[in-house]
Amino acid sequence: MVSDSITNAPIPSAPNSRDFSKKKRANRSAKLKQCKLDARREQWLSQVAVKSKGCKEEGNCAKKERDRSLENPRRRDQDNNDDGSIHHESDSESPSNSPTNSLLGGGGGSGGSDSGTNFVGSSSSRSSISGSSSGGCCSGSITEEEEEDGCLDDWEAVADALAADDDNNKPEPEPENSYSQSPSESQLSMQSDSTPELTNGLGLDSANSMTETESARMVPRISGNNTQAWRPDDAYRPQSLPNLAKQRSFPATNRHFGHGGVPWSRNSVLGAPSSCPICYEDLDLTDSSFLPCLCGFRLCLFCHKRILEEDGRCPGCRKPYEHDQVESEASVQGGSLTFRLARSCSMIARS
Amino acid sequence: MIDFSRVQKELQECSRDMEASGIKVTPVSDNLVNLSGTIPGPIGTPYEGGIFKIDITLPDGYPFEPPKMHFVTKVWHPNVSSQSGAICLDILKDQWSPALTLKTALLSVQALLSAPEPDDPQDAVVAQQYLRDYQTFLGTARYWTETFAKTSSLGVEEKVQKLVEMGFPEALVRSSLEAVGGDENLALEKLCSG
Repeated sequence: MVSDSITNAPIPSAPNSRDFSKKKRANRSAKLKQCKLDARREQWLSQVAVKSKGCKEEGNCAKKERDRSLENPRRRDQDNNDDGSIHHESDSESPSNSPTNSLLGGGGGSGGSDSGTNFVGSSSSRSSISGSSSGGCCSGSITEEEEEDGCLDDWEAVADALAADDDNNKPEPEPENSYSQSPSESQLSMQSDSTPELTNGLGLDSANSMTETESARMVPRISGNNTQAWRPDDAYRPQSLPNLAKQRSFPATNRHFGHGGVPWSRNSVLGAPSSCPICYEDLDLTDSSFLPCLCGFRLCLFCHKRILEEDGRCPGCRKPYEHDQVESEASVQGGSLTFRLARSCSMIARS
Repeated sequence: MIDFSRVQKELQECSRDMEASGIKVTPVSDNLVNLSGTIPGPIGTPYEGGIFKIDITLPDGYPFEPPKMHFVTKVWHPNVSSQSGAICLDILKDQWSPALTLKTALLSVQALLSAPEPDDPQDAVVAQQYLRDYQTFLGTARYWTETFAKTSSLGVEEKVQKLVEMGFPEALVRSSLEAVGGDENLALEKLCSG
């Protein structure tokens, strides 16, 4: 059942994305990559990372989520019964990591640990941004998505940057885990009444009773709802959150990548050109999420680099490119979150 | 290194909507470095009815560097040298953007024909005339258009007839016309000089 879907899904898509990434890696200069890696690390450190995770979950396996979320309460129940020690230490992670551990074993450890790390970041940032409401995603899809992307390298790099330890993944309680969760706990304590049922994704009353007892038993558990992302059509989704339509397209595109170029149509629908207006080559996944200038003029990374080496002006508006464009985007654009997400998603796809 | 794939695509795109824009770009040499463009004179200007030929040379840095363009057809215009055909247009110099194409550049040249900038002249004499004696400017520009930009409108036979009437032998006239690509005035020059 659940275990099947998780273990099987990565197999067909992972090689494709690997091939693709190799091609691309050959095309990109190491310098450029380093640049982007740095930029991305900053993004993660500024806690936006979570959001991307949320949107990836949604876009990647909306269907599976449904199935999974139905099974979620049951699984949680098992977790609670089998392994009480988890809950004190990393209750919020238990939905995501404990199944991962059992399924992936030692081999999948790296992916699992990363998701654990990210999760910790997510809980704090989510809680600061939004109030209470229902999520839609099963947390288990986090690890699954990573497997599918074949991007464990990147996740590991991020994890390193965050100085995270693999111990997050292990069932044994660790003092560091409780440390990292403490901020989110404190922030969430206000919302504890309304949020617990959300851990089940569907917000059903039947699930509610169970989770309420759990949350009563141990408060930190509440932060578990933070592993879940908003659905774009979620009635409770705060208006302040950026539109995820675009981000959702990336993981989906990623999945279908091996099957042909069809997914690009999704990007063009969203207004992004399908080919670079400078070199007329097709924009790939990274390029199409690359927005170097506020004027909205898109171009491929090659041409952008070339222009930076010369006069450094945007071909669309002739204004000089800002070198710290990631920060400037964030400060100027209301939808800065959207932009960053796009980049982080694309980085994942590349690696 | 010139991005030849882009140049190829630009040429295709140009030929696709040639009827609509009237702008034509054709390669002169096989290496796609030297190209030839033609623009119709804008309607409502003294250049109306003329077909203006522009020589295009692509620099190594194209499209990151602007293409070099100059008029082959003689034009009486404040921003075009009446001697060399050099064009004074910002987008062909510092205001070039790689997002521009040969077609858009030629469109800009065409727009320049209908909107002269006498304050930033390429040909001081023409600019002076434009500012001080606009009617004379119009007359001269129209005359140059008639003389230099409309030769191709005549049929070959008419050109031959015209030159034969001037007293040149028909065989020589035909070979001269062929040698200069059908340009009546150039053929006349050739006949006179040789």
